[in-house]
Amino acid sequence: MQRLSTARRTQRGSVAALGVLLTILAMFFGASGAAALSPAPHVAAQPADRSGAVAHAPVAAPSDVVGKTFTIGTDTTFAPFEFRDSSGELVGIDMDIIRAVAKSQGFTVEVKSLGFAAALQALSSKQVDGVIAAMSITDERKKVYDFSDPYFDSGVQMAVAKSNTDIKGYADLKGKTVTAKTGSEGETFAQSIAGKYGFTVKPLDQSATMYGLVKSGNAAAVFDDYPVLAYGVSQNNGLKTVTEKEAGGSYGFAVNKGQNAELMAAFDKGLAELKSNGQYQAILDKYLKSPQDTVSADSSFWALLVSSMPALLKGLQNTVVVTLISFAFAMLLGLLFGFLKVSHNIVLRGIATTFVNIFRGTPLLVQAFFFYFGLPQIIGQPVNIWVAGVLTLSLNSAAYVTEIVRGGIQSVDPGQLEASRSLGLGYGTSMRRVVVPQAFKIMTPSLINQLVILLKDSSLLLAIGFAELLYQGQQIYSNNFRISETLLIVAAMYFIVIMILTKLSNIVDKRFNK
Amino acid sequence: MSELASSKSAGRSAVSKIAVKGLKKSFGANEVLKGIDVEVADGEVVCVIGPSGSGKSTFLRCLNKLEDITAGSVVVDGIDLTAPKVDLNKVRQQIGMVFQHFNLFPHMTVLENITLAPVELKKQTKVQARKTGMDLLRRVGLEEKADARPASLSGGQKQRVAIARSLAMNPGIMLFDEATSALDPEMVGEVLQVIRDLAKEGMTMVVVTHEMGFAREVADRVIFMADGLICEQGSPVDIFSHAQQPRLQDFLAKVL
Repeated sequence: MQRLSTARRTQRGSVAALGVLLTILAMFFGASGAAALSPAPHVAAQPADRSGAVAHAPVAAPSDVVGKTFTIGTDTTFAPFEFRDSSGELVGIDMDIIRAVAKSQGFTVEVKSLGFAAALQALSSKQVDGVIAAMSITDERKKVYDFSDPYFDSGVQMAVAKSNTDIKGYADLKGKTVTAKTGSEGETFAQSIAGKYGFTVKPLDQSATMYGLVKSGNAAAVFDDYPVLAYGVSQNNGLKTVTEKEAGGSYGFAVNKGQNAELMAAFDKGLAELKSNGQYQAILDKYLKSPQDTVSADSSFWALLVSSMPALLKGLQNTVVVTLISFAFAMLLGLLFGFLKVSHNIVLRGIATTFVNIFRGTPLLVQAFFFYFGLPQIIGQPVNIWVAGVLTLSLNSAAYVTEIVRGGIQSVDPGQLEASRSLGLGYGTSMRRVVVPQAFKIMTPSLINQLVILLKDSSLLLAIGFAELLYQGQQIYSNNFRISETLLIVAAMYFIVIMILTKLSNIVDKRFNK
Repeated sequence: MSELASSKSAGRSAVSKIAVKGLKKSFGANEVLKGIDVEVADGEVVCVIGPSGSGKSTFLRCLNKLEDITAGSVVVDGIDLTAPKVDLNKVRQQIGMVFQHFNLFPHMTVLENITLAPVELKKQTKVQARKTGMDLLRRVGLEEKADARPASLSGGQKQRVAIARSLAMNPGIMLFDEATSALDPEMVGEVLQVIRDLAKEGMTMVVVTHEMGFAREVADRVIFMADGLICEQGSPVDIFSHAQQPRLQDFLAKVL
């Protein structure tokens, strides 16, 4: 799913890593593949200094990117900049531009649809090389990222529910709640006038959720980039605009400050070429002049079911696979720690108790963010999303399995162990032949329950952009705005799978615990 | 028989199967055994009686070290259980124990209950163990229950299976911890009969019991315990007909 490139920038310089560092720097800053070795030494003379690296940025030639693959982070759905068309393909202005640039400059991109905030976190933790996500170029962001030349001039606009006739301007928002996308220009603008007009801002992560909030009346208005609103309105998303757009910022492609200079150079060069050959205008026209018919012509539930099923089944497959792998690890760890918990050794018991306290005592989402965004910063290496997902789910679940195992073992009559020991059987044999088989019988219903919880909890991985079932559902409804129907389908799919899993588990239970 | 008891200090230790000296056992601050000295001769049947809470069961459980021993020593077949490197598993193979609540393994058949230890401890092959197991079941009159689960047995049957199970390792000593206390009255007899048969075969036994009639009939020696100490001991006739201590007289007045 993710690149496992060996060419990574080491964060902590050690003597041993210096050679690697030199080579890598040579690769990044060298004039060309063949000539890279000669200019490398003086380029690498100030390797750790970030401002130094920026100074070198113009040196990087776009041709360095030829044949390389870059991972680009983007938002999950921010039509018309990035969204999935009816075939599940990620399209939009951002997507078309980055792909066209990549094509003209001879590199390839692997796009990861993570969500706006998550994409930026991924960039900071070097999970991705660049981010293109309809991101406004701001002074604040320039401190952390290097931006390309602007590729789109935007501006914030306000939208209200179609049926709303009360709100005609900002002044009508007094005492009301509005929404905007977390970390977006819309939020910044809304916050900037919130005091003046006396409303509160509730930032959300998903466009569809924001629009849903406005349509349901839970928020009076939404502040978003005008092309996004315009696109949504043209797609019948149930909103309308009542004010003019604010003069706003420009969108840029971003990389980490002082890094990936050659990618940035290639982007600017490619963008200029697209603008001069008319391809750029064609892309804008494609999405803004005559919006794509992304809402299926046939708007029946059946048509939605049929069209969404391939994407949802793909998500379901990921859900089931990540659940089963995680459960296998959770069982292994849970058995290990469960036995440690009933051991007579206070140190071993302490280890198991600490493990349980940590993973049962912190939210699953915090763990997921930590393994996907935090861990890479600590180890200086990107973490594959499957690894992060399985780590999160299996460690979290193992804490609960540990308690189930401990409870199961302790609920076996102590007389059983005594009887076995009095026969001359050792502790290990007694546990294996007498206590554990009975404990398992007691544990089985709890373990099945834990498996079901694990499967449901796997939906939380959508927060790190793991393409599981609910994530796929979100992708679909944020494109077609049919939230309730899509969620019903997703819920039904979860329900069916959990029913099947429960039945299977019960059959296994009956077979082994007769 | 009375001389057996009275002569215990007169050099019987050479043939004593169990020798207990200064045995103390505390659970936290609660001292349950306050210094027990007793020897059991080879082939002797010792019945332990006394009010509840007197420490009878704890004493019995110290004899195969199911309870950790706080102070004193327990020597079984010449092996000191309190020695630091003693192989308890080996000693316990020589000591069968029967519990008040049977403690049969519910996930195994009757025969599997019996063959578990001999097979796991590699004393017998599976085939041999099954054959011995069937012999033992025949001895307790339950061979037709070999493939049944413990849950389908009556209390008396369960306890007979438990006895058969503890005999499977061919132990030299049998400990009975109130083996009939959890049984319906009509089932007590069948279990006592099995124990009686064992006594006749010369098995060394320590029997904690509330069945005074049985103790009087089977015991070579009766020990009366009270408050964690041996209060009085002697032949059944001495104990039941010529009780010396007022506590024993009180106790007998209540139970007889």
